[in-house]
Amino acid sequence: MIVDVNAYLGHFAFRRLRHNTPESLLVLMDSKGIDKAVVSSAGAITYRNSQAGNEELAEEVRRRGDRLIPFAVINPFYAGWQDDLQICHEQFGMKGLRIYPKWHNYQLSSQCCRELVDAATERGMVISIPIRVEDNRQRSWLLNIPDVPLTEIIELVKACPKARFILLNGIGYTGCSLGQKDSALPRNYAIGLSRLTAVLANELGQLVTNLGAKRVMFGTGMPFNYPDPALVKLEVLDSSEADKERIRSQNAMTWLRL
Amino acid sequence: MKDHNSASSMMREPSRSISRRTFLQGSVVAAMGAMELASRRGMAAAPSRLERKGKVIDCHAHLTHHSRATWEVEDRKLIEAADKLGIDQLCCSTLTPRRPATADGFRECNRWTAEGMRRFPGRVLGYCYVNPGYGREALDEIRLCVEERGFIGVKLYNEYTCTEPVVFPILELAIKLGVPILHHASHSHYFVEEQPRMSDGGHLAELARRYPEAMLICAHISGGGDWEWTIKALRHAPNVMLDTSGSVTDDGSVDMAVAVVGVDRVVFGCDSSMTAGIGKIRGAKLNAQDRAKILGGNMIRLLGRRKA
Repeated sequence: MIVDVNAYLGHFAFRRLRHNTPESLLVLMDSKGIDKAVVSSAGAITYRNSQAGNEELAEEVRRRGDRLIPFAVINPFYAGWQDDLQICHEQFGMKGLRIYPKWHNYQLSSQCCRELVDAATERGMVISIPIRVEDNRQRSWLLNIPDVPLTEIIELVKACPKARFILLNGIGYTGCSLGQKDSALPRNYAIGLSRLTAVLANELGQLVTNLGAKRVMFGTGMPFNYPDPALVKLEVLDSSEADKERIRSQNAMTWLRL
Repeated sequence: MKDHNSASSMMREPSRSISRRTFLQGSVVAAMGAMELASRRGMAAAPSRLERKGKVIDCHAHLTHHSRATWEVEDRKLIEAADKLGIDQLCCSTLTPRRPATADGFRECNRWTAEGMRRFPGRVLGYCYVNPGYGREALDEIRLCVEERGFIGVKLYNEYTCTEPVVFPILELAIKLGVPILHHASHSHYFVEEQPRMSDGGHLAELARRYPEAMLICAHISGGGDWEWTIKALRHAPNVMLDTSGSVTDDGSVDMAVAVVGVDRVVFGCDSSMTAGIGKIRGAKLNAQDRAKILGGNMIRLLGRRKA
């Protein structure tokens, strides 16, 4: 069983994506042996009203809930986000959300963001934070969206100990308390492996050692990314089969109550 | 004096002391997963196994500068990573920590590359790194490295944009020797202050038109900014190869490179992003023959044009 906690459907404003419909993503997943994927709307990253993307997503994954697990994209500075969160959770059955503080131009430390995290936590929803969407060097001439600094993530996980976070598309965790052994941070976050090194510096192996395999999750970033690099990382990871199984699926299944 | 990696010996089969997993033969986990899934759904198993035909050559790798205390360990780790991932040979340069490199700086780097070739015979192939601004000294260094030390090509970084006349004598010598030039390149839609003389695919295409006999490799399309721009800029530059290396794993990048410039002009590389490098080739929709060309066949063809 493989569960991908880092997948998307729909269009992205700055690059054509393949495999971005439910049908084509499922074909890709079949070809790679990926059983389930957590998906959110790629369009909602740049829509002003991200709820429109959530509605598109809800329609797309209808009848495919056994394999595609929808997450909402919520901007806590946009009017009516509380209603959107309620609809996404109660009507669309979304088990979590993805937030884009840099794309939506707010601080993780802002009051609105904390309110969103608290509201989602109260509902038992998981909050995932993509550190980046694309490599900044290839950005469009229209914008310059930096990665979410890990220092801001640290403050958030400290401030919201009851929340559960999945950090996606990041690296450099071992250079700060997020990835260091016996740090004082609450154990309320897990780290997706899509950009971690698995040879040479081997940050993936270091995180398994420092945090334990229960805190690392498999995720590809498809269809933005080829899924294969993430699969290769898991394959070369020098770890027990039990740990690999946790990363491959068990952790996500537990967190998402699948 | 000839090093162990002389021209005659550099393409031999590498010897290995450890049994390595052959990643390019496919993922057991993924293959098992796909087969299990397929049988559950009553369909034929998808071919997740990657057939490995021929040698796998990473066209863009680096050895560690000896100013780092851990250089020996890091070089060893590079070879171990190659073992794990099924990479037979790595085309390596050693770069100065800061650019522009001085003549002493690049000569020292090339001595260390030569040492690396001796430490890992058959695994490490050397690029001679020079700063074209040093004129005669740069040319002498290339001659020494290619003719005496058995290096396979030249590595140029960002000291000059490749269309500046100071670079032309390097091109002319590489043509004479019949060796490729791997050129650092990137195209971003903003000015990169740290690298004001950065070359991009457009510059390389212009240089290639000036020197149609040259063998150029445009470095890291997957770590050099807007890869779609780069691929399109190089469409009409038949003597420029595209190196797939870089940390970016964007879906479709390798496929687009093959579709636009043709499979014969795409070469596999990692530039230290090794699982990304292998994963991208595994993920691209390629038949076994085309995959083998990218993984090593095209580089072997390029290296076979050596005259020295």
